Amino acid sequence: MSYLNLTISELHALYVSGLTTPLNVVNEVIAALERDQNNILEQTMYEEARLFAASLKEVEVDNLLWGIPFLVKDNIATKGIETTASSNILNGYVSLFDAEIITKLKNQKAIPIAKTTMDELGMGGCGMTGHKGVTLNPYGKDNNRIVGGSSSGSASGVASGYVPFALASDTGDSIRKPASFAGLVGYKPTWGELSRHGLFAFMPTLDHLGFLTRSVFDVSLLYDLTKGYDVKDFTTNIQKSKNSVETLTTSLKGRKIAVIEPIFAKLTNETLLKEFNNLVAKMEAKGAKVSFVKFDELLLEAILPTYLILSCSEATASNANLTGVNFGNAKDGETYEDIVLNTRTEGFSKQIKYRFLLGNYSLRKDTRNNYYNRAQKARTLIVKAFNELFNEFDAVMLPAAPSHAPLINKEPEPNSEVENNYLAMANLGGFPSLTIPFALDKGLPLGVNLTGKAFNDALILNLGYQIEEITGLYNLHVGQR
Amino acid sequence: MKYEVIIGLEIHVETKTKTKMFSGASSVFDSPANTNVSVIDMAFPGTMPAVNKKAVENAIILAHALNMEIDHELHFDRKNYFYSDLPKGYQITQDRRPIGSNGYLDLVLEKGTKRVNIERLHMEEDTAKQIHLAEFTLIDYNRAGLPLVEIVTKPDIRTGEEAMAFVEAIREIVTFTNVSDGKMEEGSLRCDVNISLRPIGSDKFGTKVEVKNLNSISNIGKVIDAEIKRQSALLDAGKKVLSETRRYDESVKDTVLMRLKDDGVDYKYFPEGNIAPITLEKDYVAKVINMMPELPNIKKKRYLNEYKLNNHEVNIILQSKDLTLYFDEATNYTANYKTLINWVIGEVSAYLNKEGKTIKDIKLAPQNLAKLVNLVNDGKLSNAQAREVFNAIVMTNDDPEAKAKALNLVQVSDTDFILKVINEVIDENLNVIDDIKNGKDRAMGFLVGQVMKKTKGKVNPALASSLMKEEINKR
Repeated sequence: MSYLNLTISELHALYVSGLTTPLNVVNEVIAALERDQNNILEQTMYEEARLFAASLKEVEVDNLLWGIPFLVKDNIATKGIETTASSNILNGYVSLFDAEIITKLKNQKAIPIAKTTMDELGMGGCGMTGHKGVTLNPYGKDNNRIVGGSSSGSASGVASGYVPFALASDTGDSIRKPASFAGLVGYKPTWGELSRHGLFAFMPTLDHLGFLTRSVFDVSLLYDLTKGYDVKDFTTNIQKSKNSVETLTTSLKGRKIAVIEPIFAKLTNETLLKEFNNLVAKMEAKGAKVSFVKFDELLLEAILPTYLILSCSEATASNANLTGVNFGNAKDGETYEDIVLNTRTEGFSKQIKYRFLLGNYSLRKDTRNNYYNRAQKARTLIVKAFNELFNEFDAVMLPAAPSHAPLINKEPEPNSEVENNYLAMANLGGFPSLTIPFALDKGLPLGVNLTGKAFNDALILNLGYQIEEITGLYNLHVGQR
Repeated sequence: MKYEVIIGLEIHVETKTKTKMFSGASSVFDSPANTNVSVIDMAFPGTMPAVNKKAVENAIILAHALNMEIDHELHFDRKNYFYSDLPKGYQITQDRRPIGSNGYLDLVLEKGTKRVNIERLHMEEDTAKQIHLAEFTLIDYNRAGLPLVEIVTKPDIRTGEEAMAFVEAIREIVTFTNVSDGKMEEGSLRCDVNISLRPIGSDKFGTKVEVKNLNSISNIGKVIDAEIKRQSALLDAGKKVLSETRRYDESVKDTVLMRLKDDGVDYKYFPEGNIAPITLEKDYVAKVINMMPELPNIKKKRYLNEYKLNNHEVNIILQSKDLTLYFDEATNYTANYKTLINWVIGEVSAYLNKEGKTIKDIKLAPQNLAKLVNLVNDGKLSNAQAREVFNAIVMTNDDPEAKAKALNLVQVSDTDFILKVINEVIDENLNVIDDIKNGKDRAMGFLVGQVMKKTKGKVNPALASSLMKEEINKR
């Protein structure tokens, strides 16, 4: 019997019934990872995982994470394990500490099993810019489709059914876009709900940790078990927020959902439009009220440039520690300046240098008024407009991407369309944002996104769970049993 | 001189905390190199700053002492530049909203009181210490991330004397409030001087020169004198003063060029996104201020008004915070403040100087010094006897009264006993009595001397003298 392709609760049920053990499962996961053809792996933790699994003897009936293996995006610090954020500049860098979220999951007896590939330093949306090359989407029959990024290896691995969940991060849409392309549940909670301690910074006020799973229940469980104030992260929420699992089954009756008309109007994929309207009808039949609403189009168009300018600007500082002087893949040089120059010249890809240039230009004394400062103002306006919408509606609902996963050679980056990049609004506002699969288009998954008011995490997860009930697209994967 | 001197100071104070500004690494001075270092100080990926509450409280105390407005919310910013002493590639500081703004400090100078306005006071973190050797540079990260407070004055200072007085006043404040060691030689107090000249009567500022990292108060005066000389010579010769960063070179007793100021340096400040704004509740700020140690100027007032000490005495004792704390503690056990201050700045200080000790090194508790002072004031010990007792107990903290007895030093005030001895002496010297009665006062001294001799000096001479007079008159 195979223990792959199971959700957290399914695997837990097997442990409780005594049908298998964490060590059996870990061994099977390792075997599957070794057969992987999609280029999802950075450093593996097989020996550590086996030892940890072997130490888990008495099943903890009330602890659903007990013995559950998971994958970790490579920009999350893991003690004693090389952590590179898929950048050559960090080749050989071994973290001295675990990220807070790793500590929490280990304390729950969940088992980290391998690090996963990503777009270099999180700066990319296609899964093609990491130092290990292209990460593939398991749904692409001829190894020809992207899985999206930057959480590419985590998404591909969960879609392949190797593990029930993966840790990922999201600065623009890096969890929610790959989730759409890989038929997964991808969730980024409200900013400040999960400690970012140990997450390699890209832009602190846009960076979020989150999860990729194959069921809304699993993501809701993970959120409940890992959220909360952390003294090591001075941006975590001090107020204790509501748990989400208890309210998942609340019905859609009376829920008010907004579809942003100017974005929806740009969509052209017929299957996607048909299925989305279908979903709307079914939700209304269950008592939800779905409204197609107007929205300031200039603000929608401003989302991508605002995101790009701010994130590139602050990325220059977030990555200014990568000099090769204190750690990392240092190159030789006569002077401090030479070491830094050589290390950064050889360590970063062209894509990263392009972003740093953009960022430095945006922050420069003589140009910042037109770029960084203006983008900060735009951020305020965009967030204000969405908050006004959230005063009236429980959530904004839209397809998470205009189509299924693109072919490898068809993805320009950065792409400029509003409908392809609007998800970054949830980073600008720190909003809870969930992508779940809602249909298949010729065997390729399509995702729908729900985004709500900050700290309404339980509500967004409840809506997602209800939609999952409607679509029946639970535990989608391409793995073999 | 035909130029007006315009001086502004930037003072960095390393404030006292157990741990660093944003990490849990120890902040103990003088630890072996690179032993007080955490992953945060090294800027390892994924680390985040955690604000040190004590460092914030130190900044609140200083801002209050400098009569500043204290911001009700803490905001931090990133100051971006690459340098080998800066692991993160940026320094966390407060650019947009310093914790303190618009303050002042009144300096008491010989010519009167001078108010120096203070523009801002902000918190930031220190950089690593670099030791440049011929072939390579060593970096000590113990200093990286230590909490600093930077105080920036308005260009209100006009002379070297004022500048020195200002730094001295800051030093006094930070040490008395226990906010910092305030040691310029160890770098816990650092001063940069901005100085420019302009023709007297002009209202336009001249070109400013910055002199960095002065390591003593007297050097501040020397730097200013040297710069006034250098800049006036340039101006006299019709030359321009260049915008420069200079340093003081002890060996040539002059400032030397470090670098030309480059207005192109752009630190690209932006808000520190890893620290959410922190609200400083009014009650909390009030509590911090309420708990702070007494400021030197308030202490001074108390000494003058409550204890009726004179200016000379107060100025001397205020030079040492520890001495004032010792004095303050002793005042709980004696009301003889005058005698007490004379002992503290006299006998005690002399002893410390002679032995090369500080007040913390001696064993004698303030309570026992007070007791000793009371023995003197009550006439139970003469000053000479008290000195002997002091020397015997300063490193033992024995009870002064018991020690005096053990040394056989107690002055006898028992009148019956004294009268008995006096009458003995009179009987033995009846011839002298006649001399005294005939007005030979000198003979009186001889008789008292005899009494002292018989009692081995234990009798209060004044008392013996007056009793002697009475007894002779009876005869």
